[in-house]
Amino acid sequence: MKFKAFLTENGVNLLEKRFLPALDKMGKICHLYLNRDHAIFLHNLLNGDGVQSIAQFRKEALFDDYRISSQNEDRIAFAVDISLLHRALRSSVSICTEFGNGPTANRLQIKLVKKLPPNSTQPMPFLTFETKGYKSAVIQDVPISKPMSRAQVLELQTALDMAQDLPQTLVQVPDLNQLQNFVDRMRHVGELLNISISKYGDLHIQISTTLITLGAEFQKLLVLGERADAPSEDLNLSAQTRSARAILRGDAQSVQVSVKHFGKSLQCHLAKPDCAFYGIAPQGACLTVIFQFFIPGSHQMDKSISLHCRLPVLDQGSG
Amino acid sequence: MNSPSSSAEEAPDLVCQLDNVQGMVDALTTVRWKRQQDAVMELSEHGVVLIVEETGCLQAKVYLQRELFTRYEYNGQGRPRFGVSLGLFVDCLNTFSVPGQSSILEIRYPGPDMQLLLKSVDSLDACIYAEIRTRIPDTVSWDYNFEPAGSTPLTFTVKSAALKEAIDDLEWPGSSIQINLQPVPPIVTFRGEGHGDLQIDLMYYVNTDLLVAFHCDRQVSYKYKYKFLRATTSNIPGSVIKDNRGSKLTIGRGGLLKVQHLVSVARPSTSHPRIDSAGYQQPSRIAYIEFFVKPEEDEDAANNQ
Repeated sequence: MKFKAFLTENGVNLLEKRFLPALDKMGKICHLYLNRDHAIFLHNLLNGDGVQSIAQFRKEALFDDYRISSQNEDRIAFAVDISLLHRALRSSVSICTEFGNGPTANRLQIKLVKKLPPNSTQPMPFLTFETKGYKSAVIQDVPISKPMSRAQVLELQTALDMAQDLPQTLVQVPDLNQLQNFVDRMRHVGELLNISISKYGDLHIQISTTLITLGAEFQKLLVLGERADAPSEDLNLSAQTRSARAILRGDAQSVQVSVKHFGKSLQCHLAKPDCAFYGIAPQGACLTVIFQFFIPGSHQMDKSISLHCRLPVLDQGSG
Repeated sequence: MNSPSSSAEEAPDLVCQLDNVQGMVDALTTVRWKRQQDAVMELSEHGVVLIVEETGCLQAKVYLQRELFTRYEYNGQGRPRFGVSLGLFVDCLNTFSVPGQSSILEIRYPGPDMQLLLKSVDSLDACIYAEIRTRIPDTVSWDYNFEPAGSTPLTFTVKSAALKEAIDDLEWPGSSIQINLQPVPPIVTFRGEGHGDLQIDLMYYVNTDLLVAFHCDRQVSYKYKYKFLRATTSNIPGSVIKDNRGSKLTIGRGGLLKVQHLVSVARPSTSHPRIDSAGYQQPSRIAYIEFFVKPEEDEDAANNQ
């Protein structure tokens, strides 16, 4: 089992400044799954009840000189502490920039090693960051779990395949920051969030307890997938009535998720996505958020990077 | 939305709009001294009054006059009163206050089920709304009729920041705090005796920046429970300190202490403090906060009679 690659400058930027801070909010521990073409960071795919997040990079997006081999079709997966990974990367970067001279002088190598830690007789696996300076080399070892067995990797791959189903209707959230601000404040009022998404481009979120109902409705959002025109007779109704009628007509779906989970999914704005879409998976299986990234300087989707989250549904609601 | 025939009889008691939600949050937070607090709201043609009380020893009122609202339509009979959870109301209002963005909030009472209805009305494609359940209000447990102690009022005005700091410092001796006013030399003394002694003197002629006004024709002295005094300043909003406002304290008959704060509910964009202090202070966009603290009954109170 071997893995060795050089992080590109772009890859370092993507991870250090954007993705690792976002993924850190999802949970301390994640699985890093590497195969011939992709590096994938996975949260909560095997243990069911949290927010699942999947950040997938084509190898060229992060690395050059990417070498991987294992007896399991060149697939390697292990668990790693995101904050440790982030720290190691950050300090490697600072060494690189501090002592760097010339574009090729310092390259950040990342590789899988087995080492004997101090005061131990058992060799342990590490993900090692190696920065070569002019006169010195700095090596940082990030402890990782024992690489997953063939059966575990298969389980992870199956869970990953299962997590690819797309909602029939997705609506674009106009301003993630604003929505996050709102949800952060809503959190004081209740714990369960009802979300309904319609084919008309409406996103309606609501907390309802015995003492208070608090909600927000965003209308005329960009719709991907199945869409419909909003009936004109609904125009002057309240948000609640409108979404109830859309659900009855079969033009909207509604699910209940935890406010905490929803807030976590919004933390992905730290990864600086160019747009975000919310949708409800078929049969109300989960609430899906898909983040899109553009090729810098364009409005074309960068297909080498993808990030999406799946929020567990606490109650299937109606529709 | 209503047809013309039904609108007359269904017109709600109050429909009002506000363009500075944060100012209202600040004003209400001032009287939020603990997590779970029941408040009574009273509506009239003059504005909205919110009242909170504790164990018959402490009462606070927030006066939101109609001038604070950009629209105020009152159709109530008598003075409608209803109970609401203060914490929930403030938390809920807070979700309407988006930093860096002005938002107009509409408040309506009553809803079809006697709820308090809130709605953001400034954006066509995004709307925040809330329905807060109201209660039949509790009867007021104690009459806080504030009467002057004599022919001249016993009162002083101190910078809110200094008052808060003094009361915060008195936490150390704790238990009960004696407030003493004497005319010659004109001094206000806060004295705490508990785990230790701490005395804070505010001298009128020495520091008029701190003690802005002082009226006292005879010496008085009353003791108040520390936790109630603390409630009067513990949640003074940052805007009050920033605007360098003063708080007015008055001792009434029987030692009843009245503490008044002023909280700005002006539109943030128009209330640049530097410009305003030179010119116009928007006097109508101020929420008045009043606390009434009952003195502790002991021999000192008797001496003053």
